[in-house]
Amino acid sequence: MEENKSKKAQATVEVIEFGPLKISGNFILKDLKRNTEEKPVEIWLCRCGKSGNKPFCDESHKK
Amino acid sequence: MAIENEEKHFSGGKRYKNKDITVYWKPSACVHASYCYRELIEVFDPSRRPWVDMEGADTEKIIEVVNLCPTDALTWKWNEEEKNADVRADQCNHVKFRRPDLMQAGSEAMDADPVSAKVMIDGPIVIKGDFDLSYANIKKEVRDGLISICRCGDSDHQPFCDGKHRKTGFTG
Repeated sequence: MEENKSKKAQATVEVIEFGPLKISGNFILKDLKRNTEEKPVEIWLCRCGKSGNKPFCDESHKK
Repeated sequence: MAIENEEKHFSGGKRYKNKDITVYWKPSACVHASYCYRELIEVFDPSRRPWVDMEGADTEKIIEVVNLCPTDALTWKWNEEEKNADVRADQCNHVKFRRPDLMQAGSEAMDADPVSAKVMIDGPIVIKGDFDLSYANIKKEVRDGLISICRCGDSDHQPFCDGKHRKTGFTG
């Protein structure tokens, strides 16, 4: 348990209010529906369900 | 055989038995990753009561799908206690019940592993690993954690998934 406390965050996960989910840092993005696996530096994922470019945000939430 | 398939309670959840294994279900641990019903609706059907039918598939298939569960929500054990000792850690999902020692093996090598963000089919984003999380005015240092973020917009527990996408028929 002590070890866990000293572990460093590999990524930052930020839930943007009334907006998308931002993930940045050392992470792997797997999309099971589109069968893709990538290692981007920074992404914004749709949380409203309305994006025309899922899983990514296309700012449809603002409409 | 009806009695074998009966739904029974155990502390924290319910258990379901066939002639070979017992599957344990702990609802509080579920993050709605939804591997279970997506892969094996014959056994795991959330719209049915009881929702687990141990006669719906053979034992081997049930074990395979329970092992996909990323949390403690679904775990399993052989009914013959002696057989449990021979199961390799990477082949089972019951170790937290009886073999915590096996869970430690290999965890050190995972220290610097990248965080995994999985976009589930017509479901949430499941994020696993060591990350800093912020939502509303809350900041959390999540270590060895697992969270599930709503993608359909309809969850009553925002920003987290509460399984609502299944009721609304979300696709994406």
